[in-house]
Amino acid sequence: MNPSRDNTPFEDPRQQRAALRDLRDEDLIVLVQQGQKRAYDEIVSRYKGRLFSFIMRMVKDPALAEELTQETLIRVYIHAAKYREIARFSTWVFTIATNLVRNKMRQRSRRPLTISLNPAPEDDEMPVDPADPRADTSARIEREELGRLIAEATAKIPERYRVPFLLREVEQLSYEEIQQVTGLKLGTVRSRINRARTRFRLLIKPMLKNETLLAELEEIEARAAAEDNRPATDE
Amino acid sequence: MRCSKARDYLSRDIDGLLPPDATAGLLVHLDACEECRSFREDLQTGRRLLAATEPQLPDNFDWKLQLRLNQALQQRAGETAYPWLEDEPATRRGAWWPAFGAAASVGLAAVLAVAVFMGPQRGAPVMTAAVGPAPVVATAPANEPALAPSTTATSPAASLAGRSDRRSLFGAPRGGGLYDQGIGRSVATGARVAQPGAVIDRGWSGNRLEDLQTIQRLRERNDQLLRMVYQYEMQMRTLKARLDTTGTPNLDTGDNH
Repeated sequence: MNPSRDNTPFEDPRQQRAALRDLRDEDLIVLVQQGQKRAYDEIVSRYKGRLFSFIMRMVKDPALAEELTQETLIRVYIHAAKYREIARFSTWVFTIATNLVRNKMRQRSRRPLTISLNPAPEDDEMPVDPADPRADTSARIEREELGRLIAEATAKIPERYRVPFLLREVEQLSYEEIQQVTGLKLGTVRSRINRARTRFRLLIKPMLKNETLLAELEEIEARAAAEDNRPATDE
Repeated sequence: MRCSKARDYLSRDIDGLLPPDATAGLLVHLDACEECRSFREDLQTGRRLLAATEPQLPDNFDWKLQLRLNQALQQRAGETAYPWLEDEPATRRGAWWPAFGAAASVGLAAVLAVAVFMGPQRGAPVMTAAVGPAPVVATAPANEPALAPSTTATSPAASLAGRSDRRSLFGAPRGGGLYDQGIGRSVATGARVAQPGAVIDRGWSGNRLEDLQTIQRLRERNDQLLRMVYQYEMQMRTLKARLDTTGTPNLDTGDNH
């Protein structure tokens, strides 16, 4: 790894960003290994949301999820030279994230802060509706309410099923990639995903009968589709 | 086909992993079984719900990331330049003893100081200096090879802060850090340092343009730091190679920590 300079053929940063956007993750990390800091920025922009989403659904704590997302991305930067293309880049990143999450959850379980009679003790760790400083639109509230319900349902899936389930459903990793991230056998990955799906279905069953929630879901999807179709603007 | 088998197939089918012959059997079962049709619909809606409720990152995520990266790189630079000063692993059994000893000494010193200054013999302040542990003087620059940068923390405050602060290359010990939470060994062990005026003069302002400029400054600084880390690593390798060829025995450069 030679971080000597940002040796890119593009003078214009916009042009450079556009060129980086077309590259595969595996090519970007090679550029990071060669010292191109903009390639790292592109990796961050591709992965920060995905990582946060995955970690948040694992730990249920926004501050901790943010911290672990940052730590994952920092490790990617500092240990970029260690990446070899024997596995997909996404597999490498999610392996780092999964290990961090597991370590954190193990630490938590070793030193329980409170004794609860609640059968779901993890619920105590969730802060109650943290205030959002951003725009308080009704769309956001709807989305957050639905998000809270889904987060609660996801959190009730046992961890050993939840990890492969989220890697498949949220991150859309292939079964082979999940096998690499978790170290499980392929058949175990498949059966755990299947069990988690069945469990998740039972947990969200009441929601699936709720017409209002389903209407909200459709609205959210329509808004997201409209945003996707909006022409992109460069910063 | 039994429903349990059909549901196993359904799970694979929505991932596109069901072989064609099994798909045909599944479709026959679905035609006849309303429960399993409902199961398939629920799985698909569950996926849509997960996709629609993806948690949103905070606005200042990039800024915090660059700040923490900055801290991690500073620490890495310090560890690379002075590997023999690296802290013992914090998890080592009995690692709390030195801290306990230091705290007890400080407490005892405080009690004696009160006794000396408030008691009848006001003119004997010598006691206070003699009781507590002697402050660790940052002797590192004198022992280090030429690669040590001139910005090493040698202020009295840094000296008093103890050995872990000697790993800081860029300023005084912590106290004004903007992001003080630990994030693991590579970032959180040892002292965390603030950089007076070096990287950012202010925090997150909420003003889009200003914040983008702050992030950009941090990025540039981090790029410099990374270069510095690699420069140190290269120098350290050269130094070790030279020591290996001259056959200097038993020189612990801290690699075993």
